[in-house]
Amino acid sequence: MKLFEYQAKDAFAERGIPVPKRRVCETVSQAVEAVAEMGLPCAVKSQVLRGGRGKAGLVKLVKSSAEAHDYAEALLTGPLGAAHGVKKVLVEEAVDIARELYLSITVDPQAATALILACADGGVEIEELARTAPEKIIREKVDIDTGLLPFQARNIAYALGFDADGVKKFVPLLESLWAVFRAKDAELVEINPLFVTGSGALVAGDGKLVIDDNSAFRQGGAEPSREYFDSDVAYEAAVEGIPYLQFDGDISLMCAGAGLTTVVYDLVNYEGGSVANYLEFGGPNYKKAVRAMELCLVNDPKVILIVTFGTIARADIMADGIAEAIAKLKPRCPIVACIRGTGEEKAVETLKAVGLEPLFDTEEAVRKAVALAKASTEDKTSTRSGGRS
Amino acid sequence: MSIFIDRTDRVLVQGITGGEGSFWTKHMMELGTQVVVGVTPGKEGQSVEGVPVYHTIRRAVAIKPANAAMLFVPPRFTKDAVFEALDAGIKKIVTIADGIPLQDAIQIRKAAISCGARVVGGNTSGVISPGLAMMGMFPYWIERVYTPGRIGVMTRSGSLTNEVTAMVVRAGFGVSSLIGVGGDPVPGTRFAEMLPDYQADTETDAVVIIGELGGTMEEEVADAMLSGVFKKPVVAFLGGRTAPAGKRMGHAGAIVTGGKGSVKDKIEAFEKAGALVADRPRMVGDLLAKIMEAR
Repeated sequence: MKLFEYQAKDAFAERGIPVPKRRVCETVSQAVEAVAEMGLPCAVKSQVLRGGRGKAGLVKLVKSSAEAHDYAEALLTGPLGAAHGVKKVLVEEAVDIARELYLSITVDPQAATALILACADGGVEIEELARTAPEKIIREKVDIDTGLLPFQARNIAYALGFDADGVKKFVPLLESLWAVFRAKDAELVEINPLFVTGSGALVAGDGKLVIDDNSAFRQGGAEPSREYFDSDVAYEAAVEGIPYLQFDGDISLMCAGAGLTTVVYDLVNYEGGSVANYLEFGGPNYKKAVRAMELCLVNDPKVILIVTFGTIARADIMADGIAEAIAKLKPRCPIVACIRGTGEEKAVETLKAVGLEPLFDTEEAVRKAVALAKASTEDKTSTRSGGRS
Repeated sequence: MSIFIDRTDRVLVQGITGGEGSFWTKHMMELGTQVVVGVTPGKEGQSVEGVPVYHTIRRAVAIKPANAAMLFVPPRFTKDAVFEALDAGIKKIVTIADGIPLQDAIQIRKAAISCGARVVGGNTSGVISPGLAMMGMFPYWIERVYTPGRIGVMTRSGSLTNEVTAMVVRAGFGVSSLIGVGGDPVPGTRFAEMLPDYQADTETDAVVIIGELGGTMEEEVADAMLSGVFKKPVVAFLGGRTAPAGKRMGHAGAIVTGGKGSVKDKIEAFEKAGALVADRPRMVGDLLAKIMEAR
């Protein structure tokens, strides 16, 4: 789970990483108050999970209280904020910036270590850096059990060009960031940019903290909260534990098996169709067909495409669930089903009994779904009476 | 000869008394796998499919020596279970757990490397040599997928393995040994680490790699081909070619991060190394037919 900047900075501050003086605000009046407290100029930053906030106009250095008021209003009550789902802004004191650095900790799956990445050119996305100037990225592998050793922190500090005084500030900061990485079961901790101020102090300009979902049970069991998702249905799926991605096309994917669902997504695109949502109800969720179809129907899809090839996720049990879902939810759109694997003979009988024509070939099922979606676009009235296929 | 597991291996099952553990123990034995002993803390004295159960691996192997461990253990206890197997000197370990904490996975892989052991998984169906033996949970009775033959398969996905392997069989081939490395960002064993085994295996003519977006395992296979470590033909099928940037597609490992892991890069690497890349599952069978005809 990716946390908001203000949450990442709170976690940083707890471990002693210097962060700017700041306040989280949910209303314009709170923001105006916070600006008065921080003094002018100061930064007003929308709290959204997407990257590239600067380019999208979602952060701004404001120079007057009128500007602060208008900008906070645009983010919290205006169309700009609404377009990006802004619910909170962070008002932050301005920092006297002399240099910007990049610093992050992630894992190296091949070496089976943690991996620290640093770069003397901060403020740019690491993807961009990896592409344009890979030689500028400083890498240090860290044994996850031994932990970060001071010499490793010094390796990075000197490579970043710090003088002796700067090294004395950088080493403890990196040790604190390491502590955050381990304590929070992070997939990624990132400070980008890490500011070096005119007086040589270090300050975390931004903060990114992505907590490993598989560690949620030992991270206080953080329940998913609506603000982390881009739609209600994506949030409901997460609560249910069903992998779900929101798109805006015609065909709802209700598939089982992560790899297979991804390939069905590709095949729909190859065939010129478009996906309304990616939903994977395999693994532990294979008995949740009713809930899965309910989530798909929220998108009012033109077609529901069901493709499975399961082992433990038994075909016959999934077919029972699909039959129950159809009886209960009475979907108006056509359903294309291709269910194979353990118990498929019985599954075929079940699906036929509820009026479906089960298919056995994934590509054929995809082509049929795309054709039905196109037919539905061309003649909307016929879908209403066309029934299922 | 088969890869990783054959009928001479003596398999210990951790979590043997659970629903999945007992169900798949039965099937592993039916296929011909030698399951000699089981472990579930608190359940010593019971037996599953005639296999005696002990509290700990130490007690189990003192009476029934084993050289391989199959884990049906929930993700949060997987690190403990893998270390228990390593502590007993077991060098072949398969874990199916889906949801192993990322930093645990790093510790598991590191420990396996330092013990000279091989941990396959998590988030996998396991390892199978059709007609011979398996560690894991494959519906080997579905003949249009699990037909014995001379094509090696390595995969990051269970459901896609069924889909793609069915196309291998449809084209008239069968499977020698199939290794599911799993869909996690930090698998215990990586594709390229199994290639020397496939190279040495006299019963494997070619290898199918079922990969997807995320990570660099496919690129490592291409490197092994270029450096001459692996010389047999490779057909690759990759999921997530049209996946949007920054989205995690199903598997925890299926995401492009830090500019690495796009399917485009993987295809480029494979093509440079002389592997054939299939656009669609069906093409895997067609490409194999083309290669084998040319040989």
